[in-house]
Amino acid sequence: MIKNYFRPKTIDELSELKLKTKGYLFSGGTDLFVKLRAGTIDTDTVIDTKYLNSRKIEITGNKLFIPINATYSELRMFIKQNNVNNMLENIVKTIGSPMIRNRGTPVGNISNASPAGDFVLASYLFNAQVIIEPTSRKLPVKNFIKGPGKIDLRENEFVYGIELEILNDYKFYFEKVGRRNAMIISIASLGLLLKEKDNKIKDIRIAFGSVAPYILRDENLEKSLIGETINEELFKHIAIEYQKLSSPITDVRATKEYRKSLVHNLVIKAYNNLFEKVVKE
Amino acid sequence: MIIKFKLNGKEIVKDVPVHKRALDFLRDDLGVLSIKEGCGEGECGACTILVDGKNIHSCLMLAVELDGKEVLTVEGLKDKTIQNAFVEAGAIQCGFCTPGFIISTKALLNENKNPSSEEIKEALEGNLCRCTGYLKIEEAVKLAVKMYNKGSDKK
Repeated sequence: MIKNYFRPKTIDELSELKLKTKGYLFSGGTDLFVKLRAGTIDTDTVIDTKYLNSRKIEITGNKLFIPINATYSELRMFIKQNNVNNMLENIVKTIGSPMIRNRGTPVGNISNASPAGDFVLASYLFNAQVIIEPTSRKLPVKNFIKGPGKIDLRENEFVYGIELEILNDYKFYFEKVGRRNAMIISIASLGLLLKEKDNKIKDIRIAFGSVAPYILRDENLEKSLIGETINEELFKHIAIEYQKLSSPITDVRATKEYRKSLVHNLVIKAYNNLFEKVVKE
Repeated sequence: MIIKFKLNGKEIVKDVPVHKRALDFLRDDLGVLSIKEGCGEGECGACTILVDGKNIHSCLMLAVELDGKEVLTVEGLKDKTIQNAFVEAGAIQCGFCTPGFIISTKALLNENKNPSSEEIKEALEGNLCRCTGYLKIEEAVKLAVKMYNKGSDKK
């Protein structure tokens, strides 16, 4: 049961409280309060980060900065109003429900480091840098996340924000497979960003959620695709390669065999949606 | 911890235990009976309240987080258009989920005066109803929009 509730206002105050009390940080509480109720987390101390005097969502150079406490709804509004990384909206709108998006935060999603985290997938696609205070460390999200629920964070540290690349002129495909539209944790998900020139790949980023203990993205494979002509053959090749790289598990949501087929079929579906005139459902 | 906030327009100052959820505080201590505990984990939307104009789950919020906020529940809706539309469209059966739907509809119509079917579905996707099958609820929202538009024509 919660006995202590704190509202730190500064970075140092927050850091000291975390170190001293070993309490759990929360902003929207959409994850923490579910876990407290289920008994998967037991703590008597919670630290409410919403009173922290922090930066706002902003564009700095070619980066989009998303601070601690910024909700999915606020991010969605910002990208719409500023016409920046609009592709993100396709991911953000599939997260939870309006009530969850009004409280839940991208920084919370990344700090939870679930391989099914939809914003974790987004952060991999946009080469996110995780900004950690009070040490002012900055590291790529793929290094920050060490495994399911495991992150590179010292006892006095917390995630202050994340910085995403701003990408223009990319084709984008995102699909999350689940049993219904709202409030689902994905069975498998695919995000694909592709920049083309003269029907050849100039840049490609492919990331899968829920098909490995981490977000599956292979930058060497991506590099090997640059310069290749875009056609069905190439995407069949990509589909097979990622199928080999995936290592899904069987759980309450789906079997590993089904997830393996999804890895393949989602790539083909992405191709059909992006490049074929007749879209096959 | 002493908190101060506005509930349905009325200023409230209360000492609340830090572990208490907003849902339990509002319902059990302040008698706001429209909000209910369905799942207790943010899946069903029966506990939905409007906090500073945004719909959120009161089951996933501590009472102390209400400090400084403006909270609205159906008890505080002066304009009954949405409720009337739900009744007229037959969008109610057992009524357990209805206050949650009405609050989520209110949140939608505050931002969007003329939502499409798609936008209505998205706005209400966090509220579950086991009776009506949702079609009548969607119709009710469209009817509320119509009623509002008629009202503004007269003016």
